[in-house]
Amino acid sequence: MFSQLWGSMTEEFKPTWEDVAQRYGRKIYNFAYRLTGNPDDAADLVQEVLLRVRRGLSSYEPGSFDGWLWRITRNAFLDGVRKKQRRPESALPEGDHIMLGASPSPDEVLASVRLSDDVQSALLKLPYEFREAVVLCDVVGLTYDEIAQAADVPVGTVRSRIHRGRKMLREMLTWPV
Amino acid sequence: MARMTPGHNERGELFSAYLDGELTRDEVALVGDMLDGDEDAIAEFHAIREVRATLRLLPEFEVPAALLPDGHLGDRLSAYLDGELVSLEYRRVSRHLVDCPECRAELAELDRARIAVRSLPGVDTGMTGEIPVLPARKRRRGLIAGGIAATAAAAVLVLGLGIGGADAPVYSLDDLAARHVARASAEPASAVLPAMIEVSAP
Ligand SMILES: [Zn+2]
Repeated sequence: MFSQLWGSMTEEFKPTWEDVAQRYGRKIYNFAYRLTGNPDDAADLVQEVLLRVRRGLSSYEPGSFDGWLWRITRNAFLDGVRKKQRRPESALPEGDHIMLGASPSPDEVLASVRLSDDVQSALLKLPYEFREAVVLCDVVGLTYDEIAQAADVPVGTVRSRIHRGRKMLREMLTWPV
Repeated sequence: MARMTPGHNERGELFSAYLDGELTRDEVALVGDMLDGDEDAIAEFHAIREVRATLRLLPEFEVPAALLPDGHLGDRLSAYLDGELVSLEYRRVSRHLVDCPECRAELAELDRARIAVRSLPGVDTGMTGEIPVLPARKRRRGLIAGGIAATAAAAVLVLGLGIGGADAPVYSLDDLAARHVARASAEPASAVLPAMIEVSAP
């Protein structure tokens, strides 16, 4: 998805960490938010990823930028999770939504918040590798190839994880008729 | 991968990947066959499509602005003064300074603070107030020719030090840190900051 935006630029042009921050900051934030349901964790992750990008850009070889970036993001996320497991657990906050886009009617907002809260809590119940695959695919918008690079698994595994993740979500969510 | 007659699980996986545009042409044809008149398959297809659409329609959160760089130089200004930037970043900082009065003002502030600290009394420098003028570096050549390509020629930003006229020595900025040390200790009262920052003409 983003490689399309960046196009051939990635071939010969190395982005700076500011470019990365401006272009991907929001995606990274949303990735972490959907994986954790927690704005603080999402903020921590953005900072950590930008730090790692800043340190790592000099050794980045032009190629699949998305694969590279999302591998860093994923590793930073998992490191953060590991660190947190050694600390006392804090409860996951509910709601706290900042809606974007055109302003829908209050009813629509309410329905949409309620629905996305349901989806969010269903996502949090997925085993990590399924949640990750689904979020990278449907929230971040990566291709299967990019997800495979980020998660360091074969494309076939990605395909199966995405499907199984969606299937589990379907079973957890009840759909309005 | 062996292509077998798809079981139930495999079928859903194909539908899912089909919706993501991740199937080969053969597999797309296979999906077409599966959906042909099979109510069960069609229902499963729609269910997967619905989950996928729901996920994709989740609202996007705005990343807090404080987490992103504001486009100004921030902590790089100090690193710049201290000669601690690697060349790529150094060039970007130089370029930004040319265009941004805000960052130039901040740089001046930082420079004054830096001088104040460095000119604290108590150290005998053995210097008299005369600063030996070093010749400008040879990197003066190949200065900006208008365009990013030219920035490969290292320092694009040259400081006129505001001493004297046309014959004033010209320093490239990465000499600046060293100069600060000498000059700040020798002449605590005078600021080293240039009166003007200019991009020299090609
Ligand atoms: Zn600025």
